[in-house]
Amino acid sequence: MERNPLQRQVAYMRRSLFDQGYLDEQFVQLEDLQDDANPNFVEEIVTLFYTDSARLIHNIEQALESRPLDFIRLDDYMHQFKGSSSSIGAKKVKNECTQFREHCSARSAEGCVRTFQQVKQEHTILRRKLETYFQLARQAGLAN
Amino acid sequence: MKLLNGINSNKKSCQQGNGDLISDEKLTALVVDSDIICQVLEKAILESQGIQAQVVGSGRDAIDLLASGVNFDLIIIAMVLPIMNGVETTRQIRAMGIRSKMLGVTACSYERERRAFLDAGVDEFIEKPLTPQKLASVLREIRNA
Repeated sequence: MERNPLQRQVAYMRRSLFDQGYLDEQFVQLEDLQDDANPNFVEEIVTLFYTDSARLIHNIEQALESRPLDFIRLDDYMHQFKGSSSSIGAKKVKNECTQFREHCSARSAEGCVRTFQQVKQEHTILRRKLETYFQLARQAGLAN
Repeated sequence: MKLLNGINSNKKSCQQGNGDLISDEKLTALVVDSDIICQVLEKAILESQGIQAQVVGSGRDAIDLLASGVNFDLIIIAMVLPIMNGVETTRQIRAMGIRSKMLGVTACSYERERRAFLDAGVDEFIEKPLTPQKLASVLREIRNA
C-alpha cells in the first residue's frame, strides 16, 4: 500500500520505538486488539497507564521517604508497576521495575532510591515518545 | 473513558436475568485483578476470543460474586490483590466447591510463588502480560471439556 510521507514517518517512529528497546511485542498485542469497535484502544490504554502509574509513583515516593523502609510494601507497589508496564509493552520501564525489586529483595535502600529514579526517567521518556507518536498517527489518520 | 465504562457496565449486564449469564453460547470468564491496566487488557483479550468477561478488583469481590451463584468457565486471578491475596482467594474459591478452570497470573514468576499458587488450586500459572497465545491451551481445554 502506497504511504504518504506522514504515514511513512509514523511507521518509522513506530519501528524506532521497538528498535531502541522502548517497546516490546506486547505493544503489538495491543495493536491487534484495536479494531473498528475500539479504534483508539492503544492510545486509551496507554493514557490509562500513565494516569494510573502516576498514582503508583506517588505511593512509592511516599514509601521511600518513610524510615525504616518498608521493603515489602515497596516491592508490592513495584510488582504492580511492573505488571502494568509489561501489559503495555513498556520494555525499559519493566526492566527498571525488575531491578528495583531486586534491590527490595536485597533490602538496599540506596539501590531502591537510585533505581526508582531510573524507573521514573524511563517512564517519562516513553510517555513523551508515545505522545509524539500518537499525535503524529492521528495527523496521518486525518490526512488519509 | 470508554475503556473504564466497559469495565463498569459489565457488572450490570452479567447480572441481568437473576444472575444468569446473557448468552449460553459464549464461554464466560471472571478477571480478578486490582490493576486497572491488567483489567482492561485481560477483558479485551478475552472478548477478542469470543469470551464474555466480567472484572472484579479484589479477592473478596470475587468470592462474593461466586457465592451469589454466578458461574464462570474460567477465572483469571492475579497474585497480588488488596487485603486477601490471590493465593488465599484461590484457596477459598476451591473450598467453596468451585470447579471452574483457574489461571493464576503474576508480574513476576518466582518458583515459590508459582508453587504456592498451584498448591492453592489454580490449574495453570502464567507470567503477565496475558496474551491470546498464553490463553490458547486453557481455552482449548475448556472448549473440549
